Amino acid sequence: MASFANPRERVPPESLIKQVTAVLRHHALWDSLLIIVPPVLALIYGLVFLRRGAWIGDLTFVLTVSSITGLGLLAIFLRVRPRIPSAATVARLADEKSGAKDHFLTLSTIDPVTCQRSFLERLRREAAIFSERIELKRDFPYQPKRGSYGSVVGSLIVAAFIYFVAPLAEPMLRAAPVHERIREMAEKMAERPKLKGIAEALKALVAKIEDPKAPDEEKQKLVQEIEKQIAEQQKQEQDKNDRELLDQAANQLGGAEQQQSASGKDQQKDQQNGAGGIQSNLPQDNQGESKQSQGGGESKGERTAELSQDMQQGKSAQGNPKETGQDKNQPNQSETKNSQPDPSQPGKDQNKQKADKNQGGSKDGAGRNQASEEPPPQNVAPGERLYKNGEGKEGLKGARYVTVQLPEDVAAEVKGESMTGKESKGNRVGAKVPVSNVPLPAHVSNAAMEKQQSLMGRGV
Amino acid sequence: MEPEQFQDVFQRLEAEVQKVIVGHNDVIRKVLVAFFAGGHVLLEGVPGLGKTLLVKSLSQALGMTFKRIQFTPDLMPSDIVGTEVLADTNGRREFQFKRGPIFAHVVLADEINRATPKTQSAVLEAMEEKQVTVFGESHILESPFMVLATQNPIELEGTYPLPEAQLDRFFFKLLVAPPAPPELREILRRTTGTEVADIVKVLPEDGGKLFKEMMLLVRQVMIAPPIEDYVVRLVHATQTTSQNGGQASLKQYIRFGSSPRGAQSVILGAKGHALVDGRVHVSYEDVEKVVFSALRHRIILNFQAEAENVSSDQIIAEVIKQVARD
Repeated sequence: MASFANPRERVPPESLIKQVTAVLRHHALWDSLLIIVPPVLALIYGLVFLRRGAWIGDLTFVLTVSSITGLGLLAIFLRVRPRIPSAATVARLADEKSGAKDHFLTLSTIDPVTCQRSFLERLRREAAIFSERIELKRDFPYQPKRGSYGSVVGSLIVAAFIYFVAPLAEPMLRAAPVHERIREMAEKMAERPKLKGIAEALKALVAKIEDPKAPDEEKQKLVQEIEKQIAEQQKQEQDKNDRELLDQAANQLGGAEQQQSASGKDQQKDQQNGAGGIQSNLPQDNQGESKQSQGGGESKGERTAELSQDMQQGKSAQGNPKETGQDKNQPNQSETKNSQPDPSQPGKDQNKQKADKNQGGSKDGAGRNQASEEPPPQNVAPGERLYKNGEGKEGLKGARYVTVQLPEDVAAEVKGESMTGKESKGNRVGAKVPVSNVPLPAHVSNAAMEKQQSLMGRGV
Repeated sequence: MEPEQFQDVFQRLEAEVQKVIVGHNDVIRKVLVAFFAGGHVLLEGVPGLGKTLLVKSLSQALGMTFKRIQFTPDLMPSDIVGTEVLADTNGRREFQFKRGPIFAHVVLADEINRATPKTQSAVLEAMEEKQVTVFGESHILESPFMVLATQNPIELEGTYPLPEAQLDRFFFKLLVAPPAPPELREILRRTTGTEVADIVKVLPEDGGKLFKEMMLLVRQVMIAPPIEDYVVRLVHATQTTSQNGGQASLKQYIRFGSSPRGAQSVILGAKGHALVDGRVHVSYEDVEKVVFSALRHRIILNFQAEAENVSSDQIIAEVIKQVARD
């Protein structure tokens, strides 16, 4: 049996196996840490960069970092676990290092019940002698694997790329919110004495934009005011740099206005959706329809006015009965369309004013429902004026509108003052309500040209 | 019995045999290992290498009964196991069983492949069952019982190669190689002079008891489960006929792989070797020392192997190379 020159304190072979197992477990852990942790750190660094550039929000950042860290820990656990050497493997390593003839292997793997105690004691004694030859630090040093080097170097390269290269691209890629850009613009303008006033206004605007409670209309109004200020300043400004700054500010404000209007639309849409409103794609389409139905005309306002006159002649259900009566005394109404208001024809003037109103406020040429007592909304397409609260432009897709002027009695019925829903519905269906897309008879001067020509051909 | 005592007896036996036999230390050791493991040995070598002398010397050193049977084509089973003869006892004539030469502790079956299969099979039962049956009556052989058979690899004309079943009953097949020049010189010095070696009996009078204790000790030697697995994988690697067994590269040469007896022989042989080495546990080295002797006669090669002159030992070497220890 082997003898040793300098016997040291003998370590029980079982504890030596445990020590070696622990050392090798640490090696496996270090290997996994060196392979997995650097990419995780590089990823987190990338996320920090994104967070700093406002590409991701706080919550996203925290969640992503937590997920990546969790996944990293899981990967380390999954990688380390199968790499922890078994007792047999450790024992074989100990045998190799100490020059034993499978003493440690037998000792660590054999079932003590199946062997003689004296044999086992003898084996333990022999193994203890061999265990003196093992020095953990010398015999089981940690050597990083090639993959660890690759991981560390790769991650460093990625981190360096993020650190050095990505900030160069940041200004190009950065998409800061509008208010941030306006704020920057305001700060730039504040440095110019002439533009301080606009700068202050811009700052006020930023404060408004940032305030979620501030109504959109107010913001939009403010934007418009500043735009006016900028426009005026641009006219006065001589300095080229200042003019450029003003241009940029105007552009930013344009963006802000779009954003506000978009958010306003969104809100409106939300409201409509919430109220189950009617959607419409009407304005342009309806214009065509109107033209066709009215047999052509010079302008939309004129058409509305003419339509009102026609209706006054009994071709329309709309209109004031008084006016109708007055209109009956004036058969040739085509002559009076677009003419100056006639004090002798108040109804007509009223129609004319109505037509002018329509002309100013809308382009679709649709008339207003006079049966409604509510004042017409401003800056709204005529087709949309018919909507009640909660209804909207987007409420009913593909809807076509016709302008209907109801006689007062019918209007009263529509208002539901005297009838129940069912009766009202039945009567409404039964009532002969003229509509504006009824072709005009050929003898009317506003009738379609082909009809008039046919009459002329017949010598009428 | 203590392992040291075993080691002492073993080494003395080796030393006694080596007084007569020059060289062949490995063969002597393995014969002794097989003896204490309770196995039989087939020695193969050309004539004049001292096979018979080795066996004779061993039996002398052991101090046990020794019988030699020269196998010839006309040898009958009764010549080996014995027969009933009519004998006159107190004026009465009756059949008595006349024991054959198989009834000895150490039996030398010289040139076993020269006897007919019928005679060879007579040894079969004795080797495995440690008993013989004559005229329906079984006769138990004395313990220890060991058959040491020799066969000549040349002069195959008129021989009857041992069937696989009988080969499998041999614990080891040992190849007796021609002596190296220094050994040959020593042989000449010892045999051509006046010097006569005197073999001393190593085992005491009650050698049977000691032998049994030594046999038990061999079986008590510890073997680690991973080493057992290694033996299993080695043997399994030769079994090319089984569905999942056998190494792909070896299938082309092997007709039949080793039987489970092969694995038993490997482990018992390794245990014996471990004890001789002064250990009470088996190491991988022990396994690899005995695996050739234990498996070479159990791997039956096919025609292609013979055509390409591939031997069983080459196959086993390849198996060891391919089968990992872990």
